[in-house]
Amino acid sequence: MAASLEADRIAKAFGATLALRGASLHLQPGRVHALLGENGAGKSTLVKIIVGALAPDAGALRMAGRPVVFRSVREAMAAGIVPIHQHLSLFPHLSVLENLSAFALGCTRRAAASSALLPRAEAAARLETVGLHLDLDQPVAALSLGQRQLLEIARSVGRECRVLVLDEPTAALNHSEAARLFEVVRRLCAAGTAVLFISHRLDEIDAVADDVTVLRDGRAVIAGTPRSHLSREALVRAMLGTAVAAATRHLPEPGAPVLVAAGLRPGPGDAPADCVVRAGEVVGLAGLVGSGALELAAALAGARPAAGQLHVAGRRLPPGDRQQAVALGVGYVPGDRHAEGLFPVLSALQNASACSTRGLAPAGVLSPAREAARMLPWLRRMKLHPFLPAMKARTFSGGNQQKLLMARNLAIDGLRVLVVLEPTRGVDIAARETIHDAIADIARQGVAVVLATSDLDEAMALAHRVLVVRHGRIAAEILRGAARTNLLDALAGQAAA
Amino acid sequence: MRTALRLLGGQRFLVAPLCLLGAVIVFAASAPEFLTLGNVSNVGAQMWVLALLAVGQMFAIVTRGFDISVGAVAALSSTIAAHAVNALGPAGLLAGPLTGLLCGTLTGFLIGFLRLQPIVATLGMMIGVRGLALLVTGDGQVVPLHDADLASWLAFDPAFGLPPADWGAIGCILLAGALLGRAVLGRRLVMLGSNPDAAHLVGIDTARTQLRAYQLCGGFAGLAGVLVLLRAGTGLPTDGAGMELQSIAAALIGGTALSGGVARVFPVVLGAAFIQAVLTGLDLQGVSPFIAQIVVGLVIVAAGFLEFALRRFQGFAFHRRSWT
Amino acid sequence: MTALALPLPVRSAWRRWRPGAAAWTTLGVFLLFAVLVPRFASSGNLVNVLRVAAILCVAACGQAIVLVLGGIEFSFGSSAALASVVGVLAVPWLGPAGGLAAGGAVVIAIGALNGALIAGFGLPPFVVTLGMLMAAAGAAASLVGGQPIDAPPSAAFAWPAAGSVATIPVPILLGAAAVTVLHALLSRSRLGRLWYLAGANPVAARLSGIAVGRVTFLGYLVAGAFCAVTAVVLTSRVGSGQPNLAPNLPFESIAACAIGGIPLAGGEGRAHQVVCGVLVIAMMNNAVVLLNFPIAAQQLVMAVVIIGAVLLQNAGSLPVMLRRALTRRPNA
Repeated sequence: MAASLEADRIAKAFGATLALRGASLHLQPGRVHALLGENGAGKSTLVKIIVGALAPDAGALRMAGRPVVFRSVREAMAAGIVPIHQHLSLFPHLSVLENLSAFALGCTRRAAASSALLPRAEAAARLETVGLHLDLDQPVAALSLGQRQLLEIARSVGRECRVLVLDEPTAALNHSEAARLFEVVRRLCAAGTAVLFISHRLDEIDAVADDVTVLRDGRAVIAGTPRSHLSREALVRAMLGTAVAAATRHLPEPGAPVLVAAGLRPGPGDAPADCVVRAGEVVGLAGLVGSGALELAAALAGARPAAGQLHVAGRRLPPGDRQQAVALGVGYVPGDRHAEGLFPVLSALQNASACSTRGLAPAGVLSPAREAARMLPWLRRMKLHPFLPAMKARTFSGGNQQKLLMARNLAIDGLRVLVVLEPTRGVDIAARETIHDAIADIARQGVAVVLATSDLDEAMALAHRVLVVRHGRIAAEILRGAARTNLLDALAGQAAA
Repeated sequence: MRTALRLLGGQRFLVAPLCLLGAVIVFAASAPEFLTLGNVSNVGAQMWVLALLAVGQMFAIVTRGFDISVGAVAALSSTIAAHAVNALGPAGLLAGPLTGLLCGTLTGFLIGFLRLQPIVATLGMMIGVRGLALLVTGDGQVVPLHDADLASWLAFDPAFGLPPADWGAIGCILLAGALLGRAVLGRRLVMLGSNPDAAHLVGIDTARTQLRAYQLCGGFAGLAGVLVLLRAGTGLPTDGAGMELQSIAAALIGGTALSGGVARVFPVVLGAAFIQAVLTGLDLQGVSPFIAQIVVGLVIVAAGFLEFALRRFQGFAFHRRSWT
Repeated sequence: MTALALPLPVRSAWRRWRPGAAAWTTLGVFLLFAVLVPRFASSGNLVNVLRVAAILCVAACGQAIVLVLGGIEFSFGSSAALASVVGVLAVPWLGPAGGLAAGGAVVIAIGALNGALIAGFGLPPFVVTLGMLMAAAGAAASLVGGQPIDAPPSAAFAWPAAGSVATIPVPILLGAAAVTVLHALLSRSRLGRLWYLAGANPVAARLSGIAVGRVTFLGYLVAGAFCAVTAVVLTSRVGSGQPNLAPNLPFESIAACAIGGIPLAGGEGRAHQVVCGVLVIAMMNNAVVLLNFPIAAQQLVMAVVIIGAVLLQNAGSLPVMLRRALTRRPNA
């Protein structure tokens, strides 16, 4: 049988970083193909190329044997490749029926909306294929996230849907919603659709995948092997490789407690968390997407309102009060660089000094000379490249933008605690090394560091101990030097149970 | 929870009727003559210019934009229509909406295709169109209609209870309602305002759809200009200043969301009626019309508060759901 | 690496002052008018241009702060009108200087109210300042029944508009002072830096420990103070309480900033851009008067300049947009 979609020897580079080095992926109709890989393995780049969001540097895409070129997501969708991801392309203000008919409304040449809408019976039938029973006239804003995801699938399957791309579809779903989604996926497969399924959760891969491709360093190390031929250990080994052996950095002996959280609950569904971070200690917070690890880290930095108590060096920090937190010397590098961290139109220097304006401007008068004198060493230390502090932050590469955020927080006066979220996501190797060095350095200077990351190498290489967060509670503590598979099991192994 | 959310969503459209009701009760209690037939029909007769402008404005706002040139466009349309009627007879009235459409096309082109921000594009249009209005009238002279009987018949002689011009305005507003509620174009406008990225993904030509929004806005401003012409018997090149703000006010009070994607025609008309009722009601009581302006300004700010309150309350509702 | 040879403060100062598109546009417009328009380049006329520009400039400086914050301020015009009415009404009690001060205080109070509503409740600036525009206009008109009232003639009352210090007219001094203050605020004060940060990314600013609400409030307050100066000069110039004093002030101040190249998205904008935009508007108004253009043509020219100047800022992407506009849409 001809493959629904073949991506052949795809290569893609971002600047000096090779994200993909000739990775191939063959999707068969009627089968669920799981795509696995650690962060930075090139997974998301490959998915973006398949759905038309990126153009490959080299390699070819073929659908049913014929070469295709997508210049936009819209073109890929028109060809029958349907991406479903976190930020949904539904219209919250419109009804379920209108959302189901969105493609027809977008392309029709008729004047009356009613003639472009699906017949109600057909709309109900489409909802039925994904197991939804909804009032067709209800606005989409009133649906739960899981319902919206299923609705988006229903909207697409009605059209010609030859390849369904599910990018971490269960991240925001609860257990029963996820189960329903898998049921729908299997039903679609039975009807001949090819499904590309990207997930970090091994138990989900066990549950739905027929074939597996594992990417590492931009290459497919397992290419389309049937799931039944692979053990879980084989998958993990393929993902991690043997040569990863990241340089483990020297870390100091922890000192006195600095950051003390008691009964901290970042969200109403989370269990109260207690934790103590000592001076010079790096505590990893690991968890799969949606586990609550990032939220807990943000709450520890006072960046998110939460119930419970926080103390920094013996002084109370009201949760959610970043002003007070900065005054107490709590740095925070957010996980979403663009939405929460960067000031894109301001210069690199101004980005770096954002937390330190009070110290730079005694009596409110800002001296550019003093600002440069105080901030440039930090930028040099973070190896900003190109070293143009007056250039706008948005013109730097992702890695260098991340360095700016690090520099901003390292420069805080009287830094006691540094909370870092996903510091090396989408960052090249060299920048990653620089950032890791900086984290280890600052710990040696007696700062308490909280490192929330989904990159296990990072957690293992940098943290004295890793707290594993699952379903909003601290579920395990893995000490430095433990086997990496222990951590993996703690993260994913029991998620199905 | 679902019904609660829908109620909350609907609440924004209750503001206009409640405001109108409140105004009517207050004025009726303090000045009995407010509810007389003559006065009610007076409000009714005066509100249609504002209603037409506000409905046009709504089309721009629903796509996350706005148009501050509508007052100027209405003034220009009234003078050009006056010239056209003097030259061509009653058919010349069509020149009004055509002028508006042309202005709207230019605005829409600047915003949709050249990606100018609505404030810059419509500000430039406002100033330029005012200039044009002065140009076609020889520096601000009013343009009297030669055939004054036609105008007074259309604007003041009731047929089936209302003058023909008002019936025309009502017809156009009903058309706008049908367009927004039942036509593909209306759906596309709402989709564009609701989620621009998704609108592009499902195949909507976003630039062209934005162009249509401003064309509708301009067209309705042109219709309003014709109504001004008929009621005054002269084309007024300098009228309409201040109307752009009142039209935005009426659209916002009528529940249109500045963040796009939410609009209904009928509440917007009620919003216009409310503003007109306040103006007329205070006038009846001998209060200066300027107090009415203050009231309208405060109501706009209050409409902003409503959005704030809805956000708060919906956030609360969402939290409640995640608890259970 | 040669760029590194200069010490950084010097280089960044050069970057700050490097004449941008706005400055070249202004210079071009000036040379054009100097050549084409008779009497334009005479010293008397240029002082006249400056005098008109200065009044607008002060308000535009306030507008620039609000734009840097990512907001917009429509209430300038009618708050100036309210100031003139209140000022004239207050003269019998407070004297000419006190009256003008009372007028200025009204504008500042309106700015503070705008700021409190926008920062405290997160209301959209567009809605709040629009509502305030109407409310203040109504208040101004109702105080005097819609008719202008004359101020008792006095030298003190006329001084802000007609007086001069060491032969330099007071409005020009005030305009220069406003630009200096704005420049100092934006580039040399902590508050100004916080305006940039809050305007460029409010979420990131909050997470960096900045009190975004307080910073925003102060921005509208200071903007109100700038507008108060404009209101005082305008009131002094007309010598009366005018309920319809400067209906176009908000629009002209926004246009001046836009012509100067300040984007409305927030986080960017410098004092010299305000000066350039204001000068372009003032020179253009002056030239069309000298050329005896009718008012109609003046307004048309103004419209073309506003739209054209802002289009020029994105001149790079224009061909792409035009091509997209002129081709039929693909795969309809």
